[in-house]
Amino acid sequence: MDGFGPRRLSTVVTSPRRSPRRPVWVAVAMGGLVGSAARAAVGLMIPGGDGVFPFEVLLVNLLGSFLLGWYISRREQAVSGPGSTQFWAIGVFGSFTTFSAFSVDVVELLRSEMVGEATLYVGSSLFGGLGVALFGRRLGMVLR
Amino acid sequence: MNLVVLSVAGSIGAVCRYFVSGSVQTRHRSDFPIGTLMVNLAGSFGLGLVVGYGALESTLTLALIGFLGGFTTFSTWMIESLGLRASSPRAVLNLTLSLAGGVLAAGAGLILTN
Repeated sequence: MDGFGPRRLSTVVTSPRRSPRRPVWVAVAMGGLVGSAARAAVGLMIPGGDGVFPFEVLLVNLLGSFLLGWYISRREQAVSGPGSTQFWAIGVFGSFTTFSAFSVDVVELLRSEMVGEATLYVGSSLFGGLGVALFGRRLGMVLR
Repeated sequence: MNLVVLSVAGSIGAVCRYFVSGSVQTRHRSDFPIGTLMVNLAGSFGLGLVVGYGALESTLTLALIGFLGGFTTFSTWMIESLGLRASSPRAVLNLTLSLAGGVLAAGAGLILTN
């Protein structure tokens, strides 16, 4: 059978395109631009601040985790366009938060012998992050 | 200018994260979020190298910092841990492996270039 016969051609022309017009990674790139810009707007957050508590990194990580939790639950309830998860979850919130700065911050705090601060930083990041992510998810289910 | 450098570098980092964590995860065939773990450990090591080296005023350093910020992710780590059910052993494993691994990787990077 000729795959390019009229019947097949009409199916190809009228059926919805299964693949997005743009590759999915473009959505990630655009979201990454937004998320990174937002993070840069909060602060440069270059680690090694000689004993400064990394409030800015903590802020973006908690805020980003909260928003991602909220987004995930909204996504579960409503149909979004193709690439939405890649744009928001992987792109925006994935880039807005940072794990690398978090790790280096912990090491720098320990190097400055600020063990209490390091513990507080880890604790608030970890339990705070889980807590606000969970809260965001709950909120997304409740608020319409 | 800093904003532009950080945004573009972070965007590139995010795309790299998408591909690297995606391919690692696909190969792994279980729902343990090893893809995210890998990019976070690698990114922590990388940032340790950069910060240990110094030269924090240069644009290249800023670009690397921005890249690694986009390459790693804290929010995905949190959500994936919750997805494993926060009290389950695997969630605890994901949390402790990432935490300990990240700190060790960052420390190793710092020592290597310091």
